[in-house]
Amino acid sequence: MAARETARTDILQGTLDMLILQTLRWGPTHGYSIAQAIRSASNDAFRVETGSLYPALHRLAQRRLVHAEWKTSDNNQRARYYRLTAAGRRHLTREQTRWQQVVDAVHALMRPREQEG
Amino acid sequence: MPWPGWFGRRRDAEIDEELASHLRMAIADHLERGETPDTARRRALIECGNPTVAKEATRSVWTWTAVEQLATDLQIGARILWRAPTLSATAIVLIALVIGGNTTIFSMVHAILAKPAPGVRGDRLVTLGWVTDGAEHPGTSYRNYLDVAEASQTLTPILAAGFKRFIVTTSDGSYAVQGAMVTTNYFDTLGVRLARGRTFTAQESRLDASGLVAVISDRLWRDRFAASPDVVGQTTILNSHVTTIVGVAPPDFCGVALGERSDVWLPLVAAALIDGQAAALSDRRAAFVIVIGRLAPGVALAAARAELATIAQQLPREPGDSARSRTIQLFPYSGTAAGDSLVAQRGPWFLALFSIITALTLLIVCANVANLMLARALVRAREMAVRQSFGASRVRIIRIFAAEALAIGAAAWVAAALFASWTTRALPQLMEPLDGDSTRIAFDFTPDWAVLGYAMLLALVGTAIVSAAPAIRTCRLDLQPLLKTGEQGVIQGRSSVSNGLVVLQLAFSVLLLTTAGLAYRSLSVLTASDLGFTRDRLLLVTINTKAAAANNDANVRLLERMAEGLRALPGVTSASYARRPIQSFWSTERLGGGSGERPIVAERNEVGSGFLRTMGVTPLAGHDFDARGGDGGTAIVNQRLATRLWPGEPAVGRTLRLGASPQPLVVAGVVPNAFYSGYRREPDPNFVFVAASHALPPPDEATLYVRYSGTEEAMAPAIARTLRGVDDRAPIVYLRSIEEQLESLTWPIHALAILLAAFAVASLVIATIGQYAAVAFTMRRRIRDFGVRIALGASPADILASVVREGLRLTMAGLALGGALSLAAATGLRGMLFGVTPTDAPTYGLVFSLLAAASLVACYLPARRSARIDPMQALRQE
Repeated sequence: MAARETARTDILQGTLDMLILQTLRWGPTHGYSIAQAIRSASNDAFRVETGSLYPALHRLAQRRLVHAEWKTSDNNQRARYYRLTAAGRRHLTREQTRWQQVVDAVHALMRPREQEG
Repeated sequence: MPWPGWFGRRRDAEIDEELASHLRMAIADHLERGETPDTARRRALIECGNPTVAKEATRSVWTWTAVEQLATDLQIGARILWRAPTLSATAIVLIALVIGGNTTIFSMVHAILAKPAPGVRGDRLVTLGWVTDGAEHPGTSYRNYLDVAEASQTLTPILAAGFKRFIVTTSDGSYAVQGAMVTTNYFDTLGVRLARGRTFTAQESRLDASGLVAVISDRLWRDRFAASPDVVGQTTILNSHVTTIVGVAPPDFCGVALGERSDVWLPLVAAALIDGQAAALSDRRAAFVIVIGRLAPGVALAAARAELATIAQQLPREPGDSARSRTIQLFPYSGTAAGDSLVAQRGPWFLALFSIITALTLLIVCANVANLMLARALVRAREMAVRQSFGASRVRIIRIFAAEALAIGAAAWVAAALFASWTTRALPQLMEPLDGDSTRIAFDFTPDWAVLGYAMLLALVGTAIVSAAPAIRTCRLDLQPLLKTGEQGVIQGRSSVSNGLVVLQLAFSVLLLTTAGLAYRSLSVLTASDLGFTRDRLLLVTINTKAAAANNDANVRLLERMAEGLRALPGVTSASYARRPIQSFWSTERLGGGSGERPIVAERNEVGSGFLRTMGVTPLAGHDFDARGGDGGTAIVNQRLATRLWPGEPAVGRTLRLGASPQPLVVAGVVPNAFYSGYRREPDPNFVFVAASHALPPPDEATLYVRYSGTEEAMAPAIARTLRGVDDRAPIVYLRSIEEQLESLTWPIHALAILLAAFAVASLVIATIGQYAAVAFTMRRRIRDFGVRIALGASPADILASVVREGLRLTMAGLALGGALSLAAATGLRGMLFGVTPTDAPTYGLVFSLLAAASLVACYLPARRSARIDPMQALRQE
């Protein structure tokens, strides 16, 4: 059980952090709306469970990439809002660049051979 | 969560609230889509995933999870232990017993084999062993020492020492003391700093018998010099030479060897001269010194070995020396290995053997405890399954088991430390050894860091084994059936392993018990055996005549006078003397003149007049040596030797030649076969007695034999007075009854028997508890089975019988295996057994019945409980 769990987070972890930070670019929000935003933005491809989302959020908070505080939401519910910090913004930029390089590299590798020459 | 306290609790609450708000929002979303409240809630829950996992994972971001969980685990572990006190106590006692016992053994072996003698700085000291044509000798000649010391670059400094009894004469009489003749660098090499005065100077290595100097022991200083502060510079008489005391050794230092107990140290050359060994100083064949060196800074033992191997081959040879090969071996120095290369060489081997035995017992005990834990794990299998289904990871589950084992281990270690500290104090008293002058050898068993570290290691290994078994078992389990079917569904397998352990443990106990039993039997047969002479009221008085007699002739005259004086003493029925007392061997001599294929060998002793009468032996033919003289050139032989030399013919009047001596001896008498030199293992020694008045032993130690009536208490002072009256320069070395003398011969086997018995009892306890655990385990597995059988009409007695029968099957297997092992071991130990065959029936019978009884109890107790179960309850158990 432990082994399966680790395998899943390993794949997702780096990307999930980036996706969360990206979501927070549009303004502070709470965990549920982050999950919903990722889900809708990815056309339902990524469903983020609480078991992955909150550890990631808290990890980001610990690294001071996001800042968390309790607020009352639009429909009068108490929720914990996360806001991107300056460090978080820089981290996001770096991560996006790195991600783009990875994507380009993978894309180059996967490209059909005849197009090379 | 008990830790990290308030802060952690607040964070917990926050996480809970955050997750709850997430869920609320999810439900609200679903409701907005027009779902019914029930559906909305269910879908939201599925969407969000396992809340426990989420909470644990989020918490773990923040907390020092490892530490915190360990604290929790320990708490759980302690709680579990507390809830099953009997089981916990059993486990703790078992582990404590084995760790404590092993630590004791290890510290003893360590003390005997590895520690330096008291007061010696042992690091980087090495003992030299001398090997000629494959035969090992602990000592070598002074000439060889000088050559090696000069040639060696790797061993500096390097010392030589020889051991000798000296006679000290002060104003209140003469007495013999153990002493050492040493090179002048002796104290510096050993790292001994004198309490008073100085060590020897380099010039003193060339002293002759005049201007002699000596260092004395703290004991001698207190006993004979009244701890006088100005003892340094005083003179005393050593072997009738005036000697100046230049130093006093520190209180704990008694020489390089554990049993040495030297009281006086003299420069080697001068000591050899006053001891009449001048010739030995220049004779390469006269091996009378041991050699110890310290490795020069930065030199590895291997380098020194290589160098000394070369030096050994280049040593000059005495003309006529036909040795083909000659090597020097180096061994790390220890109090027992000083000059005794055999001990030094076998030491690591013994340590390895002990380690194997230790590892084996530890393994078996831990397996037993693991077995107990397994039985418990079974009860808790469901609990663990529930924990896992609630999101506890396997690592966590294993940690709970580890914590439990750790709690047991910690408790056991404390108990073991107490146990070991008690045994290390109690054991030396149990096995009080006698050395030359009836003083106890100072074994230092107090645990040092090596021993403590060893105990820690044992505890660690034990804990690991104990926690691993149930944890592995739990992790291998498939969760689903466990949750569905409950306890009975998973009880399977594993019993063959635990049964195997029981058999192994029983076999081990049999081995130890039979070995201990054989040793004891051998001891009792030994002490009850007929030696062939009368043991009643016989005293042995060993004296040293070196200072009293100038030559061999005077020596014999003195001894005769002393025996004469003793005979005149009221209460003494007869008295005589011999060159050697009763000891395990006298010197052996080849008998020349025989045409024999195989040479005939006999043990030889020079004895005084009336010796046979004092021993209580009547000659079969001929006569005893008597004081009237006329014994010149005669010998007395025992019957076996007579028959061997002249089968079927009268021996008296025939002649025989001893060793290289050209002069034949005429047989004056034939005595019955008896064990004149004490207990013997081989049944048929030959003896030849030569009249001291003819063979003239040199002045040295001799033993007076005194047969008396009345009490020893009254006799001893009278004997001492009489001997002092004859010549007060010949001190009594010791006076002891023949029983005491014989006892000193059996001491090693006695000590072994005690040690084995202690081991055997512990092993018996372990085996019994082990079997109990295994049977109890089986009982749990089959409780439903028993319920069914009782419901179908089996009586409790039937159940009981079937369980006991099954248990005893293991016992039989264990006994058979153990019996075979014991036979093999006893055959190997045959050399130590006396009058008992390795297949001694009473010993085996007793051991087998003892173990059978013990395992019967071990099976009966759990069986009785299962026979009493209520069938309805057993069947309902899910």
